[in-house]
Amino acid sequence: MNYRETMTSGGALLWFFQRITGVYLAAILLIHVINLHVLIGGEVTFAAIAERVATPMWKTLNISFLIIALFHGLYGMWVVFEDYIHKGWMRVLVYSVIAAIAVVFTIFGTLTMITFQHGG
Amino acid sequence: MAMLKFKINRFNPDDERRGHYAQEYELDVPKGYTVLDCLNDIKWKQDGTLSFRRSCRSGICGSCAMTINGVNNLACETQALALKSAVITIEPLRGYPVVKDLVVSLDPIVRGLMAVKPYMINKTPPPTDQERLQSPEDRERLEGLYECILCGSCTSACPSFWADKEYIGPHAFLKAYRFVADSRDEDARAHLEALDDKHGLWRCHTIFNCVEACPKDLNPTRAIAELKKELVKGKMG
Ligand code: SF4
Ligand code: FES
Repeated sequence: MNYRETMTSGGALLWFFQRITGVYLAAILLIHVINLHVLIGGEVTFAAIAERVATPMWKTLNISFLIIALFHGLYGMWVVFEDYIHKGWMRVLVYSVIAAIAVVFTIFGTLTMITFQHGG
Repeated sequence: MAMLKFKINRFNPDDERRGHYAQEYELDVPKGYTVLDCLNDIKWKQDGTLSFRRSCRSGICGSCAMTINGVNNLACETQALALKSAVITIEPLRGYPVVKDLVVSLDPIVRGLMAVKPYMINKTPPPTDQERLQSPEDRERLEGLYECILCGSCTSACPSFWADKEYIGPHAFLKAYRFVADSRDEDARAHLEALDDKHGLWRCHTIFNCVEACPKDLNPTRAIAELKKELVKGKMG
Protein backbone atom coordinates (compact mmCIF):
# COMPACT_ATOMS: atom_id res chain seq x y z
CA MET A 1 0.00 0.00 0.00
CA ASN A 2 1.57 3.30 -0.98
CA TYR A 3 1.08 6.27 1.29
CA ARG A 4 -1.42 7.87 -1.02
CA GLU A 5 -3.71 4.88 -0.57
CA THR A 6 -3.22 4.97 3.20
CA MET A 7 -4.57 8.50 3.25
CA THR A 8 -7.54 7.89 1.11
CA SER A 9 -9.05 4.45 1.33
CA GLY A 10 -11.35 3.09 3.98
CA GLY A 11 -12.72 5.47 6.51
CA ALA A 12 -15.37 3.44 8.33
CA LEU A 13 -13.82 3.79 11.77
CA LEU A 14 -12.79 7.40 11.20
CA TRP A 15 -16.35 8.21 10.18
CA PHE A 16 -17.62 6.59 13.38
CA PHE A 17 -14.97 8.31 15.51
CA GLN A 18 -15.99 11.65 13.98
CA ARG A 19 -19.54 11.04 15.28
CA ILE A 20 -18.34 10.12 18.78
CA THR A 21 -15.96 13.07 19.01
CA GLY A 22 -18.79 15.33 17.84
CA VAL A 23 -20.90 14.24 20.78
CA TYR A 24 -17.94 14.57 23.17
CA LEU A 25 -17.21 18.11 21.97
CA ALA A 26 -20.82 19.17 22.36
CA ALA A 27 -20.90 17.74 25.88
CA ILE A 28 -17.66 19.44 26.97
CA LEU A 29 -18.80 22.72 25.48
CA LEU A 30 -22.00 22.49 27.46
CA ILE A 31 -20.08 21.74 30.65
CA HIS A 32 -17.86 24.75 30.01
CA VAL A 33 -20.76 27.10 29.45
CA ILE A 34 -22.77 25.86 32.42
CA ASN A 35 -19.73 25.99 34.66
CA LEU A 36 -18.77 29.49 33.66
CA HIS A 37 -22.13 31.21 33.46
CA VAL A 38 -24.31 29.25 35.84
CA LEU A 39 -22.21 27.54 38.52
CA ILE A 40 -19.50 30.17 39.01
CA GLY A 41 -21.88 33.01 38.28
CA GLY A 42 -20.94 36.57 39.05
CA GLU A 43 -18.41 38.46 37.03
CA VAL A 44 -16.27 36.61 34.51
CA THR A 45 -12.79 37.87 35.31
CA PHE A 46 -9.33 36.60 34.47
CA ALA A 47 -8.80 35.62 38.08
CA ALA A 48 -11.97 33.56 38.22
CA ILE A 49 -11.11 31.69 35.03
CA ALA A 50 -7.43 31.29 35.83
CA GLU A 51 -8.16 29.74 39.18
CA ARG A 52 -10.29 27.10 37.52
CA VAL A 53 -7.95 26.45 34.61
CA ALA A 54 -5.02 25.87 36.99
CA THR A 55 -6.62 22.79 38.58
CA PRO A 56 -5.49 19.36 37.31
CA MET A 57 -9.05 18.31 36.50
CA TRP A 58 -9.65 21.28 34.22
CA LYS A 59 -6.21 20.93 32.71
CA THR A 60 -6.98 17.36 31.73
CA LEU A 61 -10.40 18.32 30.43
CA ASN A 62 -9.01 21.22 28.41
CA ILE A 63 -6.21 19.17 26.91
CA SER A 64 -8.67 16.47 25.87
CA PHE A 65 -10.88 19.18 24.39
CA LEU A 66 -7.93 20.64 22.51
CA ILE A 67 -6.79 17.36 21.02
CA ILE A 68 -10.25 16.11 20.14
CA ALA A 69 -11.38 19.44 18.68
CA LEU A 70 -8.23 19.59 16.56
CA PHE A 71 -8.77 16.05 15.33
CA HIS A 72 -12.47 16.58 14.65
CA GLY A 73 -12.03 19.90 12.86
CA LEU A 74 -8.95 19.03 10.85
CA TYR A 75 -10.17 15.58 9.82
CA GLY A 76 -13.43 17.24 8.76
CA MET A 77 -11.41 19.69 6.65
CA TRP A 78 -9.45 16.85 5.09
CA VAL A 79 -12.68 15.12 4.10
CA VAL A 80 -13.87 18.31 2.38
CA PHE A 81 -10.57 18.71 0.51
CA GLU A 82 -10.60 15.05 -0.42
CA ASP A 83 -13.87 15.57 -2.29
CA TYR A 84 -12.36 18.03 -4.70
CA ILE A 85 -8.64 17.31 -4.87
CA HIS A 86 -7.86 14.29 -6.99
CA LYS A 87 -4.24 14.88 -8.01
CA GLY A 88 -1.85 12.71 -6.03
CA TRP A 89 0.75 15.37 -5.23
CA MET A 90 -1.88 17.96 -4.27
CA ARG A 91 -3.44 15.50 -1.86
CA VAL A 92 -0.07 14.82 -0.28
CA LEU A 93 0.57 18.55 0.04
CA VAL A 94 -2.80 19.40 1.60
CA TYR A 95 -2.62 16.38 3.89
CA SER A 96 0.85 17.42 5.05
CA VAL A 97 -0.26 20.98 5.79
CA ILE A 98 -3.22 19.74 7.79
CA ALA A 99 -1.05 17.26 9.69
CA ALA A 100 1.52 19.99 10.41
CA ILE A 101 -1.19 22.30 11.79
CA ALA A 102 -2.41 19.45 14.00
CA VAL A 103 1.06 18.75 15.40
CA VAL A 104 2.00 22.40 16.02
CA PHE A 105 -1.27 23.32 17.70
CA THR A 106 -1.30 20.18 19.81
CA ILE A 107 2.24 20.86 21.08
CA PHE A 108 1.72 24.54 21.82
CA GLY A 109 -1.73 24.07 23.25
CA THR A 110 -0.72 21.21 25.50
CA LEU A 111 2.40 23.05 26.71
CA THR A 112 0.34 26.12 27.53
CA MET A 113 -2.14 24.08 29.51
CA ILE A 114 0.45 22.05 31.42
CA THR A 115 2.58 25.02 32.42
CA PHE A 116 -0.31 27.31 33.28
CA GLN A 117 -0.17 28.48 36.89
CA HIS A 118 -2.28 30.84 38.88
CA GLY A 119 -1.42 32.96 41.84
CA GLY A 120 1.86 31.05 42.25
CA MET B 1 -55.31 22.63 -24.67
CA ALA B 2 -52.68 25.26 -24.18
CA MET B 3 -49.94 26.61 -26.36
CA LEU B 4 -46.67 25.87 -24.60
CA LYS B 5 -43.11 26.70 -25.50
CA PHE B 6 -40.48 23.99 -25.11
CA LYS B 7 -36.91 25.14 -24.62
CA ILE B 8 -34.81 22.07 -25.28
CA ASN B 9 -31.10 21.82 -24.71
CA ARG B 10 -29.50 20.35 -27.80
CA PHE B 11 -26.10 18.93 -28.67
CA ASN B 12 -24.93 17.25 -31.83
CA PRO B 13 -21.67 15.28 -31.58
CA ASP B 14 -21.13 15.78 -35.32
CA ASP B 15 -21.22 19.53 -34.87
CA GLU B 16 -19.15 19.92 -31.75
CA ARG B 17 -18.14 23.46 -32.62
CA ARG B 18 -21.68 24.58 -32.04
CA GLY B 19 -21.63 23.00 -28.59
CA HIS B 20 -24.73 22.96 -26.44
CA TYR B 21 -27.51 25.32 -27.39
CA ALA B 22 -31.19 25.79 -26.61
CA GLN B 23 -33.81 25.35 -29.31
CA GLU B 24 -37.42 26.40 -28.94
CA TYR B 25 -40.50 24.59 -30.17
CA GLU B 26 -44.14 25.46 -29.79
CA LEU B 27 -46.82 22.90 -29.26
CA ASP B 28 -50.54 22.94 -28.63
CA VAL B 29 -50.62 20.61 -25.65
CA PRO B 30 -53.84 18.65 -25.06
CA LYS B 31 -54.96 17.77 -21.55
CA GLY B 32 -53.38 14.52 -20.39
CA TYR B 33 -50.19 14.89 -22.42
CA THR B 34 -47.04 13.94 -20.56
CA VAL B 35 -43.75 15.68 -21.35
CA LEU B 36 -42.80 12.52 -23.24
CA ASP B 37 -45.95 12.81 -25.37
CA CYS B 38 -44.94 16.39 -26.15
CA LEU B 39 -41.41 15.33 -27.12
CA ASN B 40 -42.80 12.58 -29.35
CA ASP B 41 -45.13 15.04 -31.00
CA ILE B 42 -42.29 17.48 -31.64
CA LYS B 43 -40.03 14.74 -32.98
CA TRP B 44 -42.66 13.19 -35.22
CA LYS B 45 -44.23 16.37 -36.59
CA GLN B 46 -41.68 19.16 -36.25
CA ASP B 47 -38.08 18.02 -35.99
CA GLY B 48 -36.98 14.46 -36.63
CA THR B 49 -33.43 15.22 -35.51
CA LEU B 50 -34.40 15.68 -31.86
CA SER B 51 -33.01 12.78 -29.81
CA PHE B 52 -34.19 11.45 -26.48
CA ARG B 53 -34.54 8.05 -24.88
CA ARG B 54 -37.77 6.32 -24.06
CA SER B 55 -39.06 2.82 -24.02
CA CYS B 56 -41.87 1.81 -21.67
CA ARG B 57 -43.64 5.21 -21.47
CA SER B 58 -45.07 4.07 -18.14
CA GLY B 59 -42.44 4.83 -15.53
CA ILE B 60 -40.85 1.41 -15.45
CA CYS B 61 -37.74 1.39 -17.63
CA GLY B 62 -36.09 4.61 -16.43
CA SER B 63 -34.99 5.59 -19.96
CA CYS B 64 -36.74 8.94 -20.12
CA ALA B 65 -35.17 10.57 -17.04
CA MET B 66 -34.27 14.18 -17.85
CA THR B 67 -34.11 17.58 -16.20
CA ILE B 68 -37.49 19.26 -16.64
CA ASN B 69 -37.73 22.85 -15.45
CA GLY B 70 -34.61 22.25 -13.40
CA VAL B 71 -35.89 19.10 -11.69
CA ASN B 72 -34.85 15.55 -12.54
CA ASN B 73 -37.91 13.59 -13.49
CA LEU B 74 -39.31 10.94 -15.81
CA ALA B 75 -40.74 12.61 -18.90
CA CYS B 76 -43.40 9.90 -19.19
CA GLU B 77 -44.62 10.52 -15.65
CA THR B 78 -44.72 14.30 -15.81
CA GLN B 79 -47.95 15.91 -16.92
CA ALA B 80 -47.03 18.88 -19.10
CA LEU B 81 -49.95 21.09 -18.07
CA ALA B 82 -49.45 20.28 -14.39
CA LEU B 83 -46.06 22.04 -14.56
CA LYS B 84 -48.07 25.26 -14.84
CA SER B 85 -45.43 27.07 -16.84
CA ALA B 86 -45.74 28.61 -20.28
CA VAL B 87 -42.15 27.69 -21.07
CA ILE B 88 -40.92 24.19 -20.27
CA THR B 89 -37.16 23.87 -20.16
CA ILE B 90 -35.76 20.41 -20.85
CA GLU B 91 -32.12 19.49 -20.36
CA PRO B 92 -30.22 16.21 -20.33
CA LEU B 93 -29.51 14.79 -16.85
CA ARG B 94 -26.66 16.76 -15.29
CA GLY B 95 -23.30 15.27 -14.48
CA TYR B 96 -23.25 12.64 -17.24
CA PRO B 97 -21.54 12.97 -20.60
CA VAL B 98 -24.08 14.00 -23.25
CA VAL B 99 -24.25 11.66 -26.25
CA LYS B 100 -26.77 13.69 -28.25
CA ASP B 101 -29.48 16.19 -27.25
CA LEU B 102 -31.23 14.64 -24.23
CA VAL B 103 -29.42 11.31 -24.43
CA VAL B 104 -26.67 10.90 -21.83
CA SER B 105 -24.14 8.15 -21.33
CA LEU B 106 -24.98 6.15 -18.24
CA ASP B 107 -21.59 4.41 -18.16
CA PRO B 108 -20.64 6.11 -14.87
CA ILE B 109 -23.66 4.69 -13.07
CA VAL B 110 -23.18 1.23 -14.54
CA ARG B 111 -19.63 1.22 -13.19
CA GLY B 112 -20.86 2.10 -9.71
CA LEU B 113 -23.63 -0.45 -9.92
CA MET B 114 -21.35 -3.30 -10.92
CA ALA B 115 -19.02 -2.49 -8.02
CA VAL B 116 -21.70 -3.49 -5.51
CA LYS B 117 -22.53 -6.81 -7.21
CA PRO B 118 -26.20 -5.97 -7.88
CA TYR B 119 -27.59 -9.49 -7.80
CA MET B 120 -28.63 -12.02 -5.19
CA ILE B 121 -25.80 -14.19 -3.96
CA ASN B 122 -27.04 -17.51 -2.63
CA LYS B 123 -25.04 -20.70 -3.02
CA THR B 124 -27.64 -22.96 -1.39
CA PRO B 125 -29.75 -24.71 -4.07
CA PRO B 126 -33.37 -23.56 -3.95
CA PRO B 127 -35.91 -25.89 -2.34
CA THR B 128 -37.68 -28.38 -4.62
CA ASP B 129 -40.49 -26.00 -5.56
CA GLN B 130 -37.81 -23.66 -6.97
CA GLU B 131 -38.91 -20.77 -4.81
CA ARG B 132 -36.91 -19.18 -2.05
CA LEU B 133 -39.50 -18.27 0.53
CA GLN B 134 -39.40 -15.22 2.73
CA SER B 135 -41.49 -14.25 5.73
CA PRO B 136 -43.82 -11.25 5.29
CA GLU B 137 -41.65 -9.36 7.79
CA ASP B 138 -38.48 -10.03 5.80
CA ARG B 139 -40.26 -8.99 2.63
CA GLU B 140 -41.37 -5.80 4.35
CA ARG B 141 -37.72 -4.77 4.78
CA LEU B 142 -37.35 -4.48 1.02
CA GLU B 143 -40.06 -1.83 0.70
CA GLY B 144 -38.59 1.36 -0.69
CA LEU B 145 -35.52 -0.53 -1.91
CA TYR B 146 -36.61 -2.91 -4.66
CA GLU B 147 -38.61 -0.30 -6.62
CA CYS B 148 -35.55 1.45 -8.08
CA ILE B 149 -35.73 1.57 -11.88
CA LEU B 150 -32.13 2.77 -12.28
CA CYS B 151 -33.09 5.95 -14.05
CA GLY B 152 -29.96 7.73 -12.77
CA SER B 153 -31.80 10.84 -11.54
CA CYS B 154 -30.38 10.55 -8.03
CA THR B 155 -26.71 10.28 -8.94
CA SER B 156 -27.12 13.04 -11.52
CA ALA B 157 -28.29 15.34 -8.70
CA CYS B 158 -25.50 14.41 -6.28
CA PRO B 159 -22.76 17.00 -5.57
CA SER B 160 -20.38 14.25 -4.43
CA PHE B 161 -20.75 12.71 -7.88
CA TRP B 162 -20.19 16.07 -9.56
CA ALA B 163 -16.90 16.36 -7.67
CA ASP B 164 -15.77 12.77 -8.20
CA LYS B 165 -16.85 11.01 -11.36
CA GLU B 166 -15.72 7.69 -9.92
CA TYR B 167 -18.03 8.05 -6.94
CA ILE B 168 -20.08 4.86 -6.66
CA GLY B 169 -23.30 6.85 -6.37
CA PRO B 170 -26.63 6.75 -4.50
CA HIS B 171 -28.32 4.50 -7.08
CA ALA B 172 -25.70 1.82 -6.42
CA PHE B 173 -25.84 2.27 -2.65
CA LEU B 174 -29.59 1.80 -2.69
CA LYS B 175 -29.14 -1.34 -4.78
CA ALA B 176 -26.41 -2.63 -2.47
CA TYR B 177 -28.66 -2.20 0.54
CA ARG B 178 -31.53 -3.86 -1.31
CA PHE B 179 -29.46 -7.08 -1.30
CA VAL B 180 -27.82 -6.59 2.10
CA ALA B 181 -31.31 -6.28 3.61
CA ASP B 182 -32.66 -9.33 1.74
CA SER B 183 -33.05 -12.39 3.97
CA ARG B 184 -32.42 -14.64 0.96
CA ASP B 185 -29.01 -13.17 0.19
CA GLU B 186 -26.12 -15.05 1.79
CA ASP B 187 -23.16 -12.77 1.23
CA ALA B 188 -23.68 -9.22 2.50
CA ARG B 189 -19.91 -8.81 2.60
CA ALA B 190 -19.68 -9.19 -1.17
CA HIS B 191 -22.05 -6.25 -1.68
CA LEU B 192 -20.33 -4.15 1.00
CA GLU B 193 -16.78 -4.82 -0.11
CA ALA B 194 -16.51 -1.99 -2.64
CA LEU B 195 -18.12 0.59 -0.37
CA ASP B 196 -15.31 1.26 2.12
CA ASP B 197 -13.30 3.07 -0.49
CA LYS B 198 -12.19 6.58 -1.32
CA HIS B 199 -14.88 6.70 -4.02
CA GLY B 200 -17.34 4.91 -1.74
CA LEU B 201 -19.76 5.51 1.09
CA TRP B 202 -17.70 8.12 2.97
CA ARG B 203 -17.97 10.58 0.12
CA CYS B 204 -21.69 10.88 0.94
CA HIS B 205 -22.23 13.98 3.06
CA THR B 206 -25.96 13.50 3.60
CA ILE B 207 -26.95 16.27 1.22
CA PHE B 208 -30.33 14.61 0.42
CA ASN B 209 -30.34 15.73 -3.23
CA CYS B 210 -30.83 12.09 -4.26
CA VAL B 211 -33.97 11.84 -2.15
CA GLU B 212 -35.37 14.97 -3.71
CA ALA B 213 -34.48 13.88 -7.24
CA CYS B 214 -35.90 10.35 -7.15
CA PRO B 215 -39.05 10.16 -9.29
CA LYS B 216 -40.03 6.98 -7.46
CA ASP B 217 -39.93 8.68 -4.05
CA LEU B 218 -37.22 6.36 -2.79
CA ASN B 219 -34.71 7.31 -0.13
CA PRO B 220 -31.11 6.47 -1.06
CA THR B 221 -29.85 8.57 1.88
CA ARG B 222 -31.56 6.26 4.35
CA ALA B 223 -30.04 3.25 2.62
CA ILE B 224 -26.63 4.93 2.84
CA ALA B 225 -27.08 5.50 6.58
CA GLU B 226 -27.94 1.82 7.05
CA LEU B 227 -24.91 0.78 5.01
CA LYS B 228 -22.64 3.03 7.07
CA LYS B 229 -23.92 1.28 10.20
CA GLU B 230 -23.30 -2.13 8.62
CA LEU B 231 -19.73 -1.21 7.69
CA VAL B 232 -18.89 0.19 11.12
CA LYS B 233 -20.41 -2.89 12.80
CA GLY B 234 -18.39 -5.07 10.44
CA LYS B 235 -15.15 -3.29 11.35
CA MET B 236 -15.77 -3.68 15.05
CA GLY B 237 -16.09 -7.42 14.62
S1 SF4 C 1 -33.09 5.57 -6.54
FE1 SF4 C 1 -34.74 6.68 -7.65
S2 SF4 C 1 -33.60 8.29 -8.77
FE2 SF4 C 1 -32.07 6.77 -8.17
S3 SF4 C 1 -31.90 5.41 -9.92
FE3 SF4 C 1 -33.43 4.48 -8.52
S4 SF4 C 1 -35.42 5.24 -9.22
FE4 SF4 C 1 -33.86 6.54 -10.19
S1 FES D 1 -40.18 5.71 -20.89
FE1 FES D 1 -39.77 4.17 -19.39
S2 FES D 1 -39.67 5.34 -17.55
FE2 FES D 1 -40.30 6.82 -19.02
